[in-house]
Amino acid sequence: MKAKSRNYYLIPYVLWIALFVITPIVLVVYYSFFNIEGEFSLENYQKFFTPVYLKMTLSSFWYAFLITFFTLLIAYPTAYLLTKTKHKQLWLLLIIVPSWINLLLKAYAFIGIFGTYGAANKFLEVMGVGGKQILFTDFSFVFVSVYIFLPFMILPIFNALDELNPSFIDASKDLGASSWRTFSRVVFPLTLDGVKSGCQIVFIPALSLFMLTRLIAGNRVITLGTAIEQHFLVTQDWGMGATIAVFLIIFMVVIMLLTGRRKRGEMR
Amino acid sequence: MKKFKWSSLYLIIVFMVLYAPIFYLIFYSFNSGGDMYHFEGFTLDWYKEIFNDTRLLIIVLNTIIVALLSSAISTVLGVAGAMAIYYARRRRTKNTLLSLNNVLIVSPDVIIGASFLIFFTMIGIKLGFISVLLAHIAFSVPIVVLMVLPKLEEMSTSIIYAALDLGASRLDVLTKVVLPYITPGIFAGFFMALTYSLDDFAVTFFVTGNGFSTLSVEIYALARQGVSLSINALSALLFLFTMLLVVGYYFITKKTSKIGRMGVRK
Amino acid sequence: MSDQTIIRFENVTKQYDNDPAVLNDVSFEIERGKFYTLLGPSGCGKTTILRLIAGFISPSKGNIYFNNKKVNEVPANKRQVNTVFQDYALFPHLNVFENVAFGLRIKKLKSEMINQKVIEALKFVNLEGYEKREIKEMSGGQRQRVAIARAIVNEPELILLDEPLSALDLKLRTEMQYELRELQRNLGITFIFVTHDQEEALAMSDEIFVLNNGKIEQSGTPNDIYDEPINRFVADFIGESNIVEGVMVEDYVVQFTGKTFDCVDGGLNQNETVEIVIRPEDLEITSPNVGKLKVKVDSQLFRGVHYEISCYDEDGNEWLVHSTKKAIVGSEIGLNFEPEDIHVMRLGETEEEFDKRLEAYEEGSYES
Repeated sequence: MKAKSRNYYLIPYVLWIALFVITPIVLVVYYSFFNIEGEFSLENYQKFFTPVYLKMTLSSFWYAFLITFFTLLIAYPTAYLLTKTKHKQLWLLLIIVPSWINLLLKAYAFIGIFGTYGAANKFLEVMGVGGKQILFTDFSFVFVSVYIFLPFMILPIFNALDELNPSFIDASKDLGASSWRTFSRVVFPLTLDGVKSGCQIVFIPALSLFMLTRLIAGNRVITLGTAIEQHFLVTQDWGMGATIAVFLIIFMVVIMLLTGRRKRGEMR
Repeated sequence: MKKFKWSSLYLIIVFMVLYAPIFYLIFYSFNSGGDMYHFEGFTLDWYKEIFNDTRLLIIVLNTIIVALLSSAISTVLGVAGAMAIYYARRRRTKNTLLSLNNVLIVSPDVIIGASFLIFFTMIGIKLGFISVLLAHIAFSVPIVVLMVLPKLEEMSTSIIYAALDLGASRLDVLTKVVLPYITPGIFAGFFMALTYSLDDFAVTFFVTGNGFSTLSVEIYALARQGVSLSINALSALLFLFTMLLVVGYYFITKKTSKIGRMGVRK
Repeated sequence: MSDQTIIRFENVTKQYDNDPAVLNDVSFEIERGKFYTLLGPSGCGKTTILRLIAGFISPSKGNIYFNNKKVNEVPANKRQVNTVFQDYALFPHLNVFENVAFGLRIKKLKSEMINQKVIEALKFVNLEGYEKREIKEMSGGQRQRVAIARAIVNEPELILLDEPLSALDLKLRTEMQYELRELQRNLGITFIFVTHDQEEALAMSDEIFVLNNGKIEQSGTPNDIYDEPINRFVADFIGESNIVEGVMVEDYVVQFTGKTFDCVDGGLNQNETVEIVIRPEDLEITSPNVGKLKVKVDSQLFRGVHYEISCYDEDGNEWLVHSTKKAIVGSEIGLNFEPEDIHVMRLGETEEEFDKRLEAYEEGSYES
């Protein structure tokens, strides 16, 4: 019965895939072979391997790495402690809620907080350190990024910790392991999948964010994302923008292969 | 006991840092002084300003229309997509479809935005309402699929056989059994699509033309010019609205899934 | 084929792609108003037969007849057959009443009619007053009843039950066995019941089909199958058995464990190697000198209603004895049995082969 019926649902869905998944990627690759005069060439690829772009790529990776590292550093203990609380699902919800608030508003809030007369500087003055330029620095960029990505890192780690069978911990203690050894030999390895997906969720967007670099880092930081935006919307050099996009896609695929498959339910 | 205290302190700090900026914004939206630094006195002027700003109200309306239309259309497409994947017979077809489905979910927004910009320009769609709507539909479809598919997959195939056995036609099976069963997933998918559309900045920023703007794009434009407390007021309203949506979504999905499965938003 | 035949399988084979056939050239008839059981281990093809009758799948080869009409390609929703599923397959989004009413609503019956029929069906399964309950509020046994009510309310000519009791605990299961049997008698509808539980099959059925590897090994009444298993598989699968090799000396005389015994089987070849089945409960413990067999008690388990005693004879054959009397482990005992307790089986034969050989033998052309 089921075997004979045709899968008509495929028609609209495959149409969507063809139009909005495959075509755009093909077009990006296609455009990467055209220079700014609209001539077919490999110029863009040559340009990408010049020191300017390589340095930019490297710094983009460096920032993404810093952001991921600090996010993980804060997220893991948070997730771990969350699983120990009563009403942990409610607390988790409270962690998630800020991620549902428009990203731009959060960035905008930090413009106020980190501004010359903002709350952060007031705090520093009270502490006796004195006012500093915080906004438009590397620090503010990394701080705000970590702030924004924190829930995305906490969630998969929380899920991994939550799914961890508590008898493993009992078994480890029963076998004479100390708390630290239990953590390092049992808990952490078993939640590594959560850590991996968390890193993946943070690292790829961290490579490609552009509004934060503009609003918070004041053009001091240029990520791959900023460069793409710049080429498409400012200098109108679509070919070069597409070339950088091609490399970003390649990096993305490599990172995804390295960090393995994501589990279901851990979206964006 | 002491150890417990330290861990609580850590959590409290994390929570404070997470929420402080949001409440900082809302707090200064009532500031009669013109900046986010010195609170001079309480005022609702910034809210009044928003409601008197016709241009802004039109943008809000645009945003809502795009969100509602795109999530409705993408829900229909997404449900069809989930069914297509569910009914795919071969394991390989299934996996291929799922991988293609997830491309837009894992892709950075800049890439989606840039590639859609090329695509729309190529086929000659004028940048504006239509291009933004199409883009929003496009990136919402896979989200709906991912919300609906687990519901379909947890459905026991024997209830489909049971319906056929009791004389139901294929249409009956769809309307009387499958759709009612996956309704919570459809609602969740619609809601997710709605919030993704309302919040999207990067993709819209790429594919919107001169005459058309959504709230996110507008906030970006305003924020680049510096601090203006009407943005704060707008934030407060948006925060309230988001909270309402979250609570609504929470009640829709409460019966069927853990919060941990809800997913964080970008 | 009589008018009583409701389902007929004619050389039916079911095969998926190039995998080995799930069902291999099977033919049988099902008569109206009886309680049938398809019995066999998992993967034997019993559920495939059920799905073929229900119309969820169609045969790769052969024909299926329903009331003498070929129904190979008739889809499930056009068949006068209803199924009670293993996991009940109740619709979780509908309450008890709406679940039972589902089939009637599809047929677009008037609502008073539906009301009346649903209530009647629920009464039949002792679920009056549960109409408004949600499915998730019902216990396993109650869900089972809803599933049965949902099937019988459509007044099908045939009800298929796919291991419907397997999810229930032992006590409830026994209770439901009685209820199902009674229900079938009261309704007079043909039931085809699938199970892997031989006790269940023996207790409930008018007729049992024992299946293995996509073939019907033997069919018959519970008594026939228990008393005259046709081969080692059936003997082993239905109840516990002691199976030893023997030789047919002549009609009604068989030799095993080096001794000759009277039996009630005849019509076999002289000196043909056969297998002998003796049920554990047919063995009676006596003193070593009186018994027909002399064995040593190896171990003993108390099973509640009886002791299960495992003994070995001098040749090393294991003899399982069910006895209400206790034995002493390590002691020598004698075992007694009557001639009719000896069941003689020809080696590795299917029912069909057996029939064929018997025919050939009668015509005098059989050579061993």
